[in-house]
Amino acid sequence: MLRRRNLLTTLLIALPWALLLTLWHQYPTTPLLNGTSALRDEGLPSCVRQQQSIRATPKVIQNYVYSRPPPWSDSLPTIFVITPTYTRPVQKAELTRLANTFLHVQNLHWVVVEDSPRRTNLVSNLLEKAGLNFTHLNVETPKSLKLGLSWIPSHTPRGTLQRNLGLHWLRDSFSNTAPPEGVVYFADDDNTYSLELFEEMRYTRRVSVWPVAFVGGLRYESPKVSPAGKVVGWKTVFDPNRPFAIDMAGFAISIKLILEKPQASFKLEGVKGGYQETSLLKDLVTMDGLEPKAANCTKVLVWHTRTERPTLVNEGKRGFTDPRVEV
Amino acid sequence: MIPIPLPHYIFPSPRHFIPPPGHFTPFPCSFSPLFSPHPPHSSPHPPPIYPLPPPLHLYPPANIFMPPLPAPPRPVQKAELVRLSQTLLHVRALHWVVVEDAPAPTALVGGLLAASGVPFTHLHAPTPPEIRRRPGDPPWLRPRGVEQRNRALQWLRDTRPPGEAAVVYFADDDNTYSLRLFEEMRSTRGVSVWPVGLVGGLRFERPLVAGGRVVGFHTAWKPERPFPLDMAGFAVALPLLRARPAARFDPAAERGYLESSLLGGLVTPAQLEPKADNCTQVLVWHTRTEKPKLRQEEQLQRQGRGSDPRIEV
Repeated sequence: MLRRRNLLTTLLIALPWALLLTLWHQYPTTPLLNGTSALRDEGLPSCVRQQQSIRATPKVIQNYVYSRPPPWSDSLPTIFVITPTYTRPVQKAELTRLANTFLHVQNLHWVVVEDSPRRTNLVSNLLEKAGLNFTHLNVETPKSLKLGLSWIPSHTPRGTLQRNLGLHWLRDSFSNTAPPEGVVYFADDDNTYSLELFEEMRYTRRVSVWPVAFVGGLRYESPKVSPAGKVVGWKTVFDPNRPFAIDMAGFAISIKLILEKPQASFKLEGVKGGYQETSLLKDLVTMDGLEPKAANCTKVLVWHTRTERPTLVNEGKRGFTDPRVEV
Repeated sequence: MIPIPLPHYIFPSPRHFIPPPGHFTPFPCSFSPLFSPHPPHSSPHPPPIYPLPPPLHLYPPANIFMPPLPAPPRPVQKAELVRLSQTLLHVRALHWVVVEDAPAPTALVGGLLAASGVPFTHLHAPTPPEIRRRPGDPPWLRPRGVEQRNRALQWLRDTRPPGEAAVVYFADDDNTYSLRLFEEMRSTRGVSVWPVGLVGGLRFERPLVAGGRVVGFHTAWKPERPFPLDMAGFAVALPLLRARPAARFDPAAERGYLESSLLGGLVTPAQLEPKADNCTQVLVWHTRTEKPKLRQEEQLQRQGRGSDPRIEV
């Protein structure tokens, strides 16, 4: 009798704690920037979610979205844009203006890869409302990598795991089906892209390259193109002897090539500053296989702009503004 | 304590949507949930908007004029204007008034505007040398863009037909604007206001709204100002500007009082119209672009080997 009562008591004491633990595991209370716990249910394709929202009680949805991407075309090659992103105050602003740019480009598929343990509500909602074709992935960079493999912070390769996940998803999606004609472009969320750039890269056969502004301490860096139209070198000041002295925003790779070479990905170990692009491209192509675009690399169509970190000094320790308002 | 097995995942199944290849599907799934060319019959939405180019008569015509602030030529000028034009190109019935701080309109800006596809007017108004910021001065030292914005106000008052129902918005070229913002401001009758993100040392500044009226302002920097707003946080109806011909920006205004110098001559704070869901949504962000590091460029130029100046950046 006594033993049974003890067992019962123990169970009754342990049960609520066990429940609490499972809850805490699923819904972390560490506040993210916008103060809400950010779990999204996974596995449901976004199509289904939209259907459900329409069948729910109708609320007045005001039609603010007057823009949408141009209709998908069968004959035009697809541009897969892989954008690594991470939570920070300007994230929503950067992704908003990037979406405004991409809404003009036909046959563009945006692959957004968050550096986070779970997909955040902020990015999910933004992608759904934007109206673009998208894929939303996430992978967290382990702390040991974030602090940098080398002691010089600027040499830490950033966004590497995220870009690799984007490539992995592409290879996975087209492992059984015939891949579409298309290119892959790595677009950081703070750069500026002209619309002409996307049309230049669309018909890439292997790997195409073009100049990029505001990198390497110069007005622009560009490949050196011979009169015959082949890339013969690099017009850079910083280490022009790199195999591929080009910025992440300065090249695009055709999907066929990505699928042909499944081992090619960005390397994490032993990558010096400025060699991240080389770590991928050396497994894909050689310099004479590069296709120069932008009028034989004489026009600047992409700018490596960087956004200032906003000073949130007046927030203080406890926060001045309402954390439930998403910024 | 019984250990509970924790689920373990590395690469979760992604959320994604790839349209079915080929034809244009009217199924709402293909587009943003906020927009469908064939809305379900039970929906209470207003009639759908048709694809670009949209017919201008669908809504009460309310052209939006935007005099932005291109500062004296700086390296990122073209990039900023390119990405601003990509946002503006989505907004219907918008007229972009670009006022350069230069003695004459430059070919860089002129060419960009012509190629952008946005309806525009290209003006110029040089800042007097004594007020112009010198290299090394911090950005907040002197009020920027006063002459340019006043020139735009003058152009609006002089050239637009009287009685035109339009809205004027001052948009700096380095801020970020969501498309919804422009639709929110379209219904401005006097002066409308909304929150601005990443400004005043806060995540966002906003007017405080009670009962549909502005009753105060939630800011931390100089809250004693008559209108503690950012330039990107308000829009003015053109008829109101015409009714108050003396209203303009004061070049001698103290730091942070530029907006108040204009708005004080137009409305009282109680007359402000709150937008963006009673000022609870952030639809514009006061982003600033870093000055690019051009050290190697400067070194090369000193050696006479600078980059080709004919290539426009």
